[in-house]
Amino acid sequence: MSALSLIQVLASGVATGCVYGLVALSFVLIYKATGAVSFMQGELLMLGAFTVLALHEAAGLPLAAAVVLGVAAMAAFGALLERTLLRRTLGPAHLTALLLTFGLGMVMRGAVGAVPAASHAMHRLPLPFAGDSVQLGGAVLAAEHLAVIVATAALAAVLTLFFRRTRAGLALRACSENAEVAALMGVSVPRMHTLAWALGAGLAAVAGVLLAPVTFVHPNMGLVALKAFPAAVLGGMTSLPGALAGGVFLGVVEALAGLALPEGVKDVVPYVLMMAVLLLFPGGFAAGLRGRP
Amino acid sequence: MSGSGGMRGSRRAGVPAAAVAITVLACLAVWALGADYALAQAAFVTTWAIAGLGVIVVVGQCGQVSLGQGALLGLGAYAQALLALRGVPAPLSLPVAVALGAAGGWLASLPARRLGGLYFAMSTLAFALIVEEALVRWESVTHGAAGFAVPPLALGGWVADTSLAQALVGGVALALAWLACRRWVASRLGRAWRAVREDEVAAAAAGIDVARAKTLAFVLGGGLSGLAGALYAHWIGFVSPEQFGLMLSFELLMLAFIGGAQHLAGALWGALVVVALPQGVSLAVERLPPGLAGAAGIETALFGAVLVIIVLLRPGGLAGSR
Repeated sequence: MSALSLIQVLASGVATGCVYGLVALSFVLIYKATGAVSFMQGELLMLGAFTVLALHEAAGLPLAAAVVLGVAAMAAFGALLERTLLRRTLGPAHLTALLLTFGLGMVMRGAVGAVPAASHAMHRLPLPFAGDSVQLGGAVLAAEHLAVIVATAALAAVLTLFFRRTRAGLALRACSENAEVAALMGVSVPRMHTLAWALGAGLAAVAGVLLAPVTFVHPNMGLVALKAFPAAVLGGMTSLPGALAGGVFLGVVEALAGLALPEGVKDVVPYVLMMAVLLLFPGGFAAGLRGRP
Repeated sequence: MSGSGGMRGSRRAGVPAAAVAITVLACLAVWALGADYALAQAAFVTTWAIAGLGVIVVVGQCGQVSLGQGALLGLGAYAQALLALRGVPAPLSLPVAVALGAAGGWLASLPARRLGGLYFAMSTLAFALIVEEALVRWESVTHGAAGFAVPPLALGGWVADTSLAQALVGGVALALAWLACRRWVASRLGRAWRAVREDEVAAAAAGIDVARAKTLAFVLGGGLSGLAGALYAHWIGFVSPEQFGLMLSFELLMLAFIGGAQHLAGALWGALVVVALPQGVSLAVERLPPGLAGAAGIETALFGAVLVIIVLLRPGGLAGSR
């Protein structure tokens, strides 16, 4: 096993991990801001990928426009769901939120699956770099992996600016920390809930677009979101950077496990890791390093 | 507790009403569907109700979320099926299935027992996904993803291979599970569960060992799931890993939610709905114009829509007072 091929495996692990991390980010964002556990982030991811695909192939938009419009449409869809269905029922009760979002996810998956064009063929988003490879000091890296990593880094930078520098971002953070105090400071908590769901749906859609060149676009691609839960737990459940870092870590560990361990163990590693983390570092890795319980 | 007197009164009035309703429903079912079909469905309803009791102990009584009940059913089902294949009689293999379910419940809840809340959902989810993968991969024992056929339930020389016998066994098992649950719920442990559900800090201040109460809920709920899984394997006659996936866990949560998770009777009502609903959805899809593509997708979407509507209309469950 040479160092170069190790770099290639690591790059693919980081790229997969970025997708896990983005989905985990969307989950944690919604959980922190609204207290609701969303079990439909995977379906939002799938719907986002299909929306972009439909805008590009059926409506004939150029790919860049289709991506922007598709992600915006998914954000609007998230806001709409919050305003119509989720707001009225979701409280701190996890069971209600889990069942409601799982049911909504089934509706989305079933609705897409019922469209013959969507379910009967495998689709690829024809991104310009798909299938290319990049030579980096002897290592041959897949262009789509690099694109995923670069896009995720850019998105993380934009989100950091949003949460640190803009009024809406600060209000959203205030609302996540303490909704009552935020309301006293003049933050409209219901509007922040809508914003959180819009951002969560939009982020999931971005993850879907980034995942599209790596896997195919199909109605069950949302299953990838199951890996977002260990990523969120690894990051401490309430930390946005932690969720992203947890996702990347998980992607790398998974890639290495695929290399070193027998077939099938790779798929279980994230969940074993999650149970071990809950047992040993219940506050997530970051808190464990700082020595906080 | 000022509400307890009123609750007891309504429960007394509720039992005959429920008995009448079930008798009427049973007669209707036999009349409309034929005796054999109705009895086979009754066997499934009783088995689902046992699994529902397991969920109600964890979710309704103790107030914790479990996403791994489906996998616990799977453990019970595989234990029973594999032992039955090797000719072990049911009186010996059923306790093994129950014990395996209970051990699984303990293991699944172990990482989160001091954290609670959402962490139980996470750790039980992880446990369920690990179990599912193990059932697929451990081919030498579990026959892998293809699954295998299960012989009928044998009690000594008597083999439960007719619908009547299966419904009888299911009914007896449900009655025993019900009695056990009633004892637990009325005991010191049951009061500890409800105290934990209402307010963990207050429960701990009152001297309740919160972590122990939660662990016991998962262990006892897991044992009931193991029993339900063991019977289910015989009734359906075939086990494969995908039967015991995440979907089953959510169906069981839905069962408890529909029936009203805080009362034991909710298990039976929920089981009736959960057995009837997929068949109703299939019937509805069959009525659609033939040749329509994507019927499977429409079925999934309809099922999800029913779940959404139930949660929206009755956030406290169908049997719940509010």
